[in-house]
Amino acid sequence: MIGLVLKDMLVMRKTIRTYAMFLAFYLVMTVLGLFTISFTTAILQLIVMLLPMSAFSFDEMAKWDRYALTFPLGRRALVTGRYLFALVMTVVAALCGLLSCVLVSIFDSSDLMLENMMTVMVCLSLGLFYADILLPLCYKLGPERARPYFYLIIFGPIVLLFGAYQLGFFGADSLSFLSSIPDRPAVTLSFFLPIVPLAGMGLSYLIACRIVENKEF
Amino acid sequence: MTNAIEIRGLCKSYEDFALQNVDLTLPGGSIMGLIGENGAGKTTTIKCILNLIHRDAGQITLLGQDNLAGEAAVKADIGVVLDECYFHDTLRPRDIDKILSRVFPTWDSALFEDYRNKFQLPQGKFVKEFSRGMKMKLSLAAALAHRPKLLILDEATAGLDPVVRDEILDEFLAFIQDEDHAVLISSHITSDLEKAADYITYLHQGRVVLSEAKDVILDHYGRLACTARQLETVEREDLVRVRKGSFGCEGLVRDRAAFHQKYRDLLVEKTTLEEIMLFMGKGEEAV
Repeated sequence: MIGLVLKDMLVMRKTIRTYAMFLAFYLVMTVLGLFTISFTTAILQLIVMLLPMSAFSFDEMAKWDRYALTFPLGRRALVTGRYLFALVMTVVAALCGLLSCVLVSIFDSSDLMLENMMTVMVCLSLGLFYADILLPLCYKLGPERARPYFYLIIFGPIVLLFGAYQLGFFGADSLSFLSSIPDRPAVTLSFFLPIVPLAGMGLSYLIACRIVENKEF
Repeated sequence: MTNAIEIRGLCKSYEDFALQNVDLTLPGGSIMGLIGENGAGKTTTIKCILNLIHRDAGQITLLGQDNLAGEAAVKADIGVVLDECYFHDTLRPRDIDKILSRVFPTWDSALFEDYRNKFQLPQGKFVKEFSRGMKMKLSLAAALAHRPKLLILDEATAGLDPVVRDEILDEFLAFIQDEDHAVLISSHITSDLEKAADYITYLHQGRVVLSEAKDVILDHYGRLACTARQLETVEREDLVRVRKGSFGCEGLVRDRAAFHQKYRDLLVEKTTLEEIMLFMGKGEEAV
């Protein structure tokens, strides 16, 4: 199984290298104060979410799954390897986000570190949530047919919110209630939030295993 | 000696095709050629052996173990080369070594390196830069480097030039020097199988129509060449299949010597696997 994760890393080393350069660029821009932490971490998670999708596409192109099933690993290991890869990538993106929080707090006198870290944790939760939905979809539909769903899940809520705002369903001050939430519960909630999609990943994994068990290669 | 492969009553149905009651036995220390026209069921059989598809019925035993109950253990002893190279274009031989050393408990990096040198595969080149022959050699090196007992190859030599095919066949012959080893190879290139195989199984429309030692087939089967009038004098049970053309008729004979004893004035020649395939595929029932 470790071999399968390593395979993903080696197959996509060029892509990962390019993304790492993007990451460095965003980090520098954030530390310089040109981008906000929220923006950087959101972009990071978005970029990272593309990696498992690309891994599926590369595997489909090479017909790798058929070959990998001749290994003494079993179908479940195939799924475990991909989930592990997605998890590692999502956590690495979150760690980079946390690193940028620390760096920003060193260079920036304003005390926004806690708030920035909350943003990172929420982005991590969203990244994991997207993985929970997209990985079984990729196994069921294949990466190309799953791609529209990927964009729908990512951009759908944004379009809906923007549309609702434009249509006057809520005003500019509708989210002001968020300010009334006391700091302590908000911080605690944000830090424990990733546990929810992480638990969901278990269910998502079982669904993906079921799909692969029934699949013919 | 344990049979490397035993298949009994294998069935697998699709909408437009069905593999029906396939029986096959590959003894250890031998090479079996699986022949048949496109769509005859060769790849389906191999996929069932490797549990890539779910069979409808039947039992498959590999190296003495059930292929489903002992799947992981049995696959550790199997090397597979499929009809194309399934390594990603962006991998290099040294990457494949790193990956597969973490997949197979018995992976031998030094052996992989030996094969890589023997097949003259550059270490640092990407798979996308390899020719088809190089890709198949890379697949073969990867299949052999974990010291398998059973090699399964699906059309692995298709599209390769005779020199590369000969090199690969030599590897198979070297591999079965150990009598615990065996090779199952599906191929359209019957001349290769005549050179290397010990047993031939011929699949036609999802059924095994012939499964015998290659020498028995080539020694016993024969091709009758005659006129339409001469063909009428032959009893139908003495012919397996017939082909009628405007210049004459041909018949496939199961026992050349017995046929010659019975019909002394008719000419029966030795036949080849390709001719047998053509008789089975294009000929008519001798009724």
